[in-house]
Amino acid sequence: MEWLREVKSERAGDRYFAGKHPAGLNVFIYPKERNNSTYAVFGTKYGSIDNRFRTEADSEPQRVPAGIAHYLEHKLFESKDGDAFERYAKTGASANAYTSFDMTCFLFSCTENVYESLKILLDFVQSPYFTEQTVQKEQGIIGQEIKMYEDDPQWRVLFNLLGALYEKHPVRLDIAGTVQSIAQITPELLYRCYRTFYNLNNMALCIAGNVEPDRVAELCDQMLKPSKPVKIERIFEEEPGHIVRARTEQKLSVSVPLFELGFKEPAGAGRPSAKEMAETDILLEAISSNASPLYRRLMDADLINEASFGNEYFEGPGYSAVIFSGESKDPEKVADEIKKEIAAVRKNGLDRHTFERAKKAVYGRNIASLNNVGSIANSLVSLAFAGRELFAYLDAIAEADADSVLGRLKDQLRPELSSLSVVRPDR
Amino acid sequence: MTGIEQRPVCSGVNFRSIRDDRFKTVRMSVHFLWPLAEKTVSENAILPFLLSRASRKYPDFTRLNEHLAELYGAVLDADVQKIGDVQALSISASGIADRYSLNGEKISAELAKLLCSIIFDPPFENGRFSARGFEQERRQLMELVDSDFNDKRTYARLRCEQLMCKGEPYGIGRCGTKRQIGDLKAEDLTPVWKDLIHRARVEIMVLGDCDPEPVYGDFHAAFHNLGRTEAVDCPTKVVPSAEKPAETVEKMDVVQSKLVMGFRTSCAEPDGNVPAMKLCNALFGGTPNSKLFLNVREKLSLCYYCGSLYNPMKGILLVQSGVEAKNIEPAKREILRQLDEVRNGNFDEDELGAAKLSLANSYRTLSDSLEGLEAWYLSQTFRPSVRRPEEEAELVGAATREEVIRAAKNMTLDTVYRLEGKGGTA
Repeated sequence: MEWLREVKSERAGDRYFAGKHPAGLNVFIYPKERNNSTYAVFGTKYGSIDNRFRTEADSEPQRVPAGIAHYLEHKLFESKDGDAFERYAKTGASANAYTSFDMTCFLFSCTENVYESLKILLDFVQSPYFTEQTVQKEQGIIGQEIKMYEDDPQWRVLFNLLGALYEKHPVRLDIAGTVQSIAQITPELLYRCYRTFYNLNNMALCIAGNVEPDRVAELCDQMLKPSKPVKIERIFEEEPGHIVRARTEQKLSVSVPLFELGFKEPAGAGRPSAKEMAETDILLEAISSNASPLYRRLMDADLINEASFGNEYFEGPGYSAVIFSGESKDPEKVADEIKKEIAAVRKNGLDRHTFERAKKAVYGRNIASLNNVGSIANSLVSLAFAGRELFAYLDAIAEADADSVLGRLKDQLRPELSSLSVVRPDR
Repeated sequence: MTGIEQRPVCSGVNFRSIRDDRFKTVRMSVHFLWPLAEKTVSENAILPFLLSRASRKYPDFTRLNEHLAELYGAVLDADVQKIGDVQALSISASGIADRYSLNGEKISAELAKLLCSIIFDPPFENGRFSARGFEQERRQLMELVDSDFNDKRTYARLRCEQLMCKGEPYGIGRCGTKRQIGDLKAEDLTPVWKDLIHRARVEIMVLGDCDPEPVYGDFHAAFHNLGRTEAVDCPTKVVPSAEKPAETVEKMDVVQSKLVMGFRTSCAEPDGNVPAMKLCNALFGGTPNSKLFLNVREKLSLCYYCGSLYNPMKGILLVQSGVEAKNIEPAKREILRQLDEVRNGNFDEDELGAAKLSLANSYRTLSDSLEGLEAWYLSQTFRPSVRRPEEEAELVGAATREEVIRAAKNMTLDTVYRLEGKGGTA
């Protein structure tokens, strides 16, 4: 197929095929011929943050209720003649879907009937069917999903942090919305969002596993309904550079306090490059991995545990932050120690051994992630929407130099832009 | 298909390996198996954590972790789980295959040596584990027990199991209680360690892209040095049926209530009916096409999740759901009604076929990950002969409608656990 080109990595010893199908869809196929299973993701660059937008067809900006992208994800499984799970039941595929801040993904994993399952995936995501009655029915189910998250301390500690870091950006709102916001969702609103964001030009199909690229391409020819390129203007109110508050706290039924310490950073119009992502990963590894002096001090002071302490580079369209998280009897003390360590690295830099070790560890973890077809397919789809490339990221890790890694500190991990969120036991 | 090789090391110690270069990593693990008991549960549970934090050559965990980072982020991990009435204490080493190292480092051989050294030659100080290391691991183990409470879905499931299997070894938590952990003393652990390496049943697994021969050699030498002559017996007690269901209600300040129903199935490994019971579970509540998902969630819109979980090692089945307090009774009625549907044979060939395909899919998928393979083969330890996941898929596929009905009829409700929050009761 002439629209597919091969992307190779000497380092990983792997290759995949990528290209834009004439119908408008970006397609990625990562063959693993000796695998039993295949994992496919059909995703749209549309998540919980996209609740104000305008296309050429709209005279003015549209504002839709919080949680609608997630609601749409649930409702797409239904069609006129039964739901997608019923159809997958005949192929044996294990299917699911998820909605995040910036994308909605439909996926399956299967060991037989791959092309039959792929047909189902491509078909139901392209065939919306909503009625008053089916939309109404979902309120009970999603209402319970929202309530489940209200009790989830990990979820709460994150959203409390996002509310403390972001004043305007919709990343601060719960992905599923609220019981009140989802009550406003109608079939018309769902169709409007669907027509805007489920345009093939705004979507990607990523498949990893036991597949033949030619057969996937044929199926695309057969199943894809060509879309005219769409230009979506996503409207976000301007987010101030500063944070909203430095502390936030909630009491919940937990036995150990949980914390997240976030460092907001400027998020420009574009997304960080593969090189910048790699540099930040190495920097965070050097600062807080279990081989670091910081980790040692926190552990010796009984302030963290191995099972829960970690970090994440949390970034998407218009938001970007580094988040440290864990359980601790004294989250304030942990936050102080982390900030002290960052200040020390800012002042003294990283010694050569620390840097090389961190780089090797990040490299190894990323090689290991290429074992798993689910992790490959999910990475490909999120990288596609972020404008980054999988193997370029691996190369960027291997080629990173200490100065560029330290250079990330210019905008990252600034103490004046940090906020601490804590969930404490209610008794 | 992936071939597994097995060979004995010495009395009670088994070595299993799968060499397969489609994986970019290796995973080596040693599992000590010991009968679950109140007296030993916590002292055993702390050991894998204590052992995996230091070695003779790297007696300090920061030095050890630096060394692992040099090995491209290799990981030494500890874990404790229950397999029926047996406590499994696991230590694993995983890392990338040698061919991916940037400077030609030999990662696998080093990981094997490291694993042997931390298990057989801990850096004792005067014959004891270091006091500081012990205290840190004891604290972290208590926090691990605490964190089970934070996730209410997990907590409700564990509570139901605990209430249901009270008086059976399975009713004991995998690490024991916080109090039991708090009472541990560093000086008591050296004999516990000795006992484990000398008398536990041991499963060693070496999986992925590396040559198992030298690893076998290392472990063979280490175990033969010990002069092992025996291994503990690891039985599991299967209670075939419940007399009368007991119900426990716990109130808590949570938004969503949880309902967990525990059933006895009278069917546990190595019973020949296990594949039929697995199929029965998939049909009843194991997939998004199951009776529970389609009716309790989709039709009645009562909850976000409602599903069942069959534990073939213990012969119990749990139904879990997150619902509003006022909907607990309707949900419970519907769950029991759906069980009756299965018992009465009210399912068609399509439903049965779908359940078979879904299970076959999960078993075949296991072979694509080292963690999946490890978990599968560890679960095969107590069977008279080891099956491959693909063979299990075939057995499930051969189970009949009548066998599924019989399996459902053999289920008896033992325990209902309700974690009730605000939102009123029925």
